[in-house]
Amino acid sequence: MPPEPKRRSLLDLSDLRAEETQYLLDRAQAFAATPAQRELLRDVCVVNLFFEPSTRTYSSFVIAQARVGADVVALPPGSSSLGKGETIADTAITLAAMGVRVIVTRHSESGFPYRLADAFAGHVINAGDGGHAHPTQALLDLATLQTEFGRGKIAGLKIALVGDIAHSRVARSNIIGLRALGAQVVLVGPPTLLPDAFAREGVRIARSLDAVLGEVDVVMLLRIQRERIVSAALPCLDDYARNYRLDGKRLRMLAPHAIVMHPGPYNRGVELTDEVLSHRGWRYAQQVSHGVPVRMAVLDFLVNGV
Amino acid sequence: MNLLITGGRVVDPSQNLDALRDLRIENGMIAEIGEHLPSRGEETLDAAGSVVAPGFIDMHVHLREPGHTHKETIATGAAAAAAGGFTAVACMPNTEPALDSPALIAEVKRLAEKAHLARVYPIAAITRGRQGRELAPYWKLRDAGAVAFSDDGTTVENPRVLRQAALYARDVPGVFISHCEDCALKGDAVMHEGAHSAHLGLCGSPGVAEQIIVARDLLIAGDTRKPFHIAHISSAMSVELMRFARAQGIPATCEVTPHHLLLEDDRFTAFDAQAKVNPPLRESADTAALREAVRDGTIDVFATDHAPHTLEEKAQLLGAAPVGFSGLETAVGAYAAAIPDLPLSRFIALLSTNPARILGVPGGTLRVGSIADITIFAERRWNVDASRFYSLGKNTPFDGATFERRAIATIVAGRIVMRDGGLSPTTGDALRLR
Repeated sequence: MPPEPKRRSLLDLSDLRAEETQYLLDRAQAFAATPAQRELLRDVCVVNLFFEPSTRTYSSFVIAQARVGADVVALPPGSSSLGKGETIADTAITLAAMGVRVIVTRHSESGFPYRLADAFAGHVINAGDGGHAHPTQALLDLATLQTEFGRGKIAGLKIALVGDIAHSRVARSNIIGLRALGAQVVLVGPPTLLPDAFAREGVRIARSLDAVLGEVDVVMLLRIQRERIVSAALPCLDDYARNYRLDGKRLRMLAPHAIVMHPGPYNRGVELTDEVLSHRGWRYAQQVSHGVPVRMAVLDFLVNGV
Repeated sequence: MNLLITGGRVVDPSQNLDALRDLRIENGMIAEIGEHLPSRGEETLDAAGSVVAPGFIDMHVHLREPGHTHKETIATGAAAAAAGGFTAVACMPNTEPALDSPALIAEVKRLAEKAHLARVYPIAAITRGRQGRELAPYWKLRDAGAVAFSDDGTTVENPRVLRQAALYARDVPGVFISHCEDCALKGDAVMHEGAHSAHLGLCGSPGVAEQIIVARDLLIAGDTRKPFHIAHISSAMSVELMRFARAQGIPATCEVTPHHLLLEDDRFTAFDAQAKVNPPLRESADTAALREAVRDGTIDVFATDHAPHTLEEKAQLLGAAPVGFSGLETAVGAYAAAIPDLPLSRFIALLSTNPARILGVPGGTLRVGSIADITIFAERRWNVDASRFYSLGKNTPFDGATFERRAIATIVAGRIVMRDGGLSPTTGDALRLR
């Protein structure tokens, strides 16, 4: 089945059929191999509406927007009327009236881009909403897997996501994308950071990292925030490390072909030790490098279709 | 007020009556019940094909006055009540300021009399300013007209304060109504904690946040012998706790809303706040347990927790949007939809007889000599259109729903205040507001 010609918004990977996800990965791979294509979004006005600080995602969107030739306006949170009590709908109407066709947005509250997309006549790209979704991060993770294991080979992979699943939009979007492409997902973490409710078809829960390391092709680590100690989700980082930190000893339990990923920013000594950073399977830089072509592909896909 | 209601099926659980009867009302009181009563020239209301019941009483509504009159006023709330088939409501004290002084209670009563629609019984705060620290003056509040006491909207966090309050107020007529949610367990929740909150990345409030306070308050009721009424019970384990309390002889009753019987936590996929409510909509096991508890009598009362807000307030992001929605004008249809096979006498007991008994207010019966507060309803299909509510709050997750039962007349002290959805033209403030 060919992908749909036009999609309005990308709010989560559940918006995409598996063929469309595959199309975006292939398109990203092509963009990675070719120079900028500045005619693709010529005269298309894009607004970056980020209410949360962001380094990787923000800069990678800006670079991608430049490479496809879009006119870009950045609205830092302080300068937005939303902070002055203007409603989401009013902001959407205002921006649409100026001819803005794409809004890339990040917000601390789950669901913000959904509400924006309801009101906005153009395309909305979710660059992260609360603990809910981060579809372009998941796409660049999938692109990393495709580069590593080959096209069509994500099906059948066994992937462990480790850490603070409950608060992770990256984990949620990756679970959707990985399941859609046929991978098996194992979630690993303590019950305060990984409620039993996450288990479902194709998604297993494990409470011990040691028990799964030998059987997985990929370990995706997630950032552990110190706030989790204040909120009583964790006793201390040492106790977390005992069961879940990836260290030298645990690296040796991995299969020879297995890789380790992290969406960043990572905390040395918390969810991983320095030994991970020099491990042959560490793919953080590759993940980051997929950010720009994946976001070029998403912009092109939403605005121009297939 | 004299009135003859003819040809209706009169169902009155207070006297085990379920038969075709005529009802004569004289001077606002029920004067006679019988077959084929002759007209004495009074106004006649033909109730053929309808059910004539003692007036419905919603013992849990928020009328927002004083302080939040952009959301609702006593007058618009009383109009919404009449339109929905309620002859009386009891309004919660979480206003601004809170209803914690005799003067405020008297003011609510004055505004209600001016509105001249459904009766409005004020509920006074348990603690001053609903702050959970100092006790409100229960005797003086009672003297002013308060029918019950509640810090609804929040739980009285400090168990010592609540126990002292219950002890002091033990001999004051007026039940303590408990809003059961442990603040610490609830946290910043916008919905129920479960599979849906996990998948949506939204902060959830676990069922245990309610149950732990239900258990605590039932124990305090048993310990102090002050009657407690558990508001808007929402989870299966809370129902079990109520059964335990009953078995122990603890003086406790409870209520359930239409939304906790009918709706579940799958309503947040669009991230809109329409279904955001405290306690949150829970899971199918909970709604099933609540429906069973209505059938077996564990749940005493149907109460809506009518909580009007403006469209703008409710359109905010989930985190910022206020909790609750309007309930008075959908309740009859929604309760019937929740448990279509509930015997009519039980349906009426939960909407009239039981709340009248628990609050100790007139009504709840059609016995000769009682006040002529009467609700007439019929099995009639209708579609909810929130934009046409008399309530200033036009929000409800039931907007657009089709219901099969509807109140067709509301009679207060023998005066028809609502008929076929329209309010009496002789009423006061409310009509000018429409």
